[in-house]
Amino acid sequence: MNVRAVPGSGGESPRPGPTGGTGREAEAAHLVELMARVSRAHEDAFAELYDLTSARVYGTVLRVLRSTDHAAEVTQEVFVEVWRQSARYVPGKGSVLAWMTTMAHRRAVDRVRAVTSEVSRDERYAVSGIDREVDHVWEGVEQRLDVERVRRGMASLTAIQREALTLAYFGGYTQSQVASLLKLPLGTVKTRIRDGLIGLRDALGVEA
Amino acid sequence: MSEIHGATGSYVLHALDPSELDEFEAHLAVCPTCSREVVEFCETAAELSQLATAPPPPGLKASVMTAISGVRVLPPEPTGMEEQAGAPAAEPVTGAPEDELALRRQQRRTRLLWLAVAAATVLALSLGGWVVSLVQQQQAQVATSTAETQLYSAPDVVIRPVTLPNGAKASFVASKSLNRAMFTSSDLPSPGPDRTYQLWTLSGPANAPTAVVPDNTLSGGTAVKQFFRGDIAGSTLVAITNEPAGGSSVPTTPATAAPL
Repeated sequence: MNVRAVPGSGGESPRPGPTGGTGREAEAAHLVELMARVSRAHEDAFAELYDLTSARVYGTVLRVLRSTDHAAEVTQEVFVEVWRQSARYVPGKGSVLAWMTTMAHRRAVDRVRAVTSEVSRDERYAVSGIDREVDHVWEGVEQRLDVERVRRGMASLTAIQREALTLAYFGGYTQSQVASLLKLPLGTVKTRIRDGLIGLRDALGVEA
Repeated sequence: MSEIHGATGSYVLHALDPSELDEFEAHLAVCPTCSREVVEFCETAAELSQLATAPPPPGLKASVMTAISGVRVLPPEPTGMEEQAGAPAAEPVTGAPEDELALRRQQRRTRLLWLAVAAATVLALSLGGWVVSLVQQQQAQVATSTAETQLYSAPDVVIRPVTLPNGAKASFVASKSLNRAMFTSSDLPSPGPDRTYQLWTLSGPANAPTAVVPDNTLSGGTAVKQFFRGDIAGSTLVAITNEPAGGSSVPTTPATAAPL
């Protein structure tokens, strides 16, 4: 694990990295403040919100869509929607990042299901592809402490839980598609996805 | 635990099959246990997204900032959600998914209307076995905008199909009474590198317009929908052109126009 001791030298990445829980909480609180200003149509606050969250939003969308063109378009749609709906974000009901990444994932999934032909997706992920997909998630990720935490959380899951989660979240597949890719009954996949999220939630100490 | 509770994970990851979605959401509305789990899973999935972090293209921020400048921030949730303020903690369905849930409800309300409008497209694509996901996609698009629903429901709505110079099929949808118009295309090719599509409103006679007003820009994609921001009631034509990124103040390529 490579923990950077010197903060801030990396430029624009979201600020608090290696400071653990307090850093994350401070960041989350700051995002809530920004959203309040965004909801009053402050474009400068929105610009800062973009700087702090765009790598997460774009990265999530790109991972699902695999096309930089589509990802840029969908990311733009997401941010326009964040702007439009900003007054409807309720701080007590979840973090800004969860609100935004949920929206981003939803739109990416809608897009990928609309544009990708079933055949090519099946070919791309024909069994051996699953390992590559899972590996790919681990590669090239900035080794920040937070990321390391999530990685360790994922590593604590069973292989099937991890694969099911990865295919559903990063692959954008429906649970039926995941079941057919993993050659498992649908009920099993549904359970593994939920168990995987429970395991990850508990490993990460996520609080709602 | 009954089977329906087991769907929380798939719901949060947007992996429920359409047939299960309605059933689960009906359940979610009355099950505090599932609602709480959905909220927690949304936070968990947000953590998972850290593994996907990637820097967006450098030009995207400017493009986003331009895009929002023509978009109005919606007022806080107007109907049915007032219980948000001061509600008891155990209230079902909270947090991020509430917006999703509200969207889905909206989708259900608008489904029939939209299906009627989109029937031709759905019919064409159902041959490829994609009818279900297409319908889902269009519902999602519909839900993003009540303005869109209002537009399609307007008594004086006009829908003008056009074919762009690059062969793309598209339509202008407009209502003078609402003073709203939209450009829509189920499959709009990319405008090209460092290019954008741009909308225009024109007034005066079609062969000699007296005013040509630049409107919103948009990029390509599937299920493209872009509202006009300019005056529709006072315009006689709407048009679209391909322009350099950022848009132009006067059209620089041949326009595809439709009368209002």
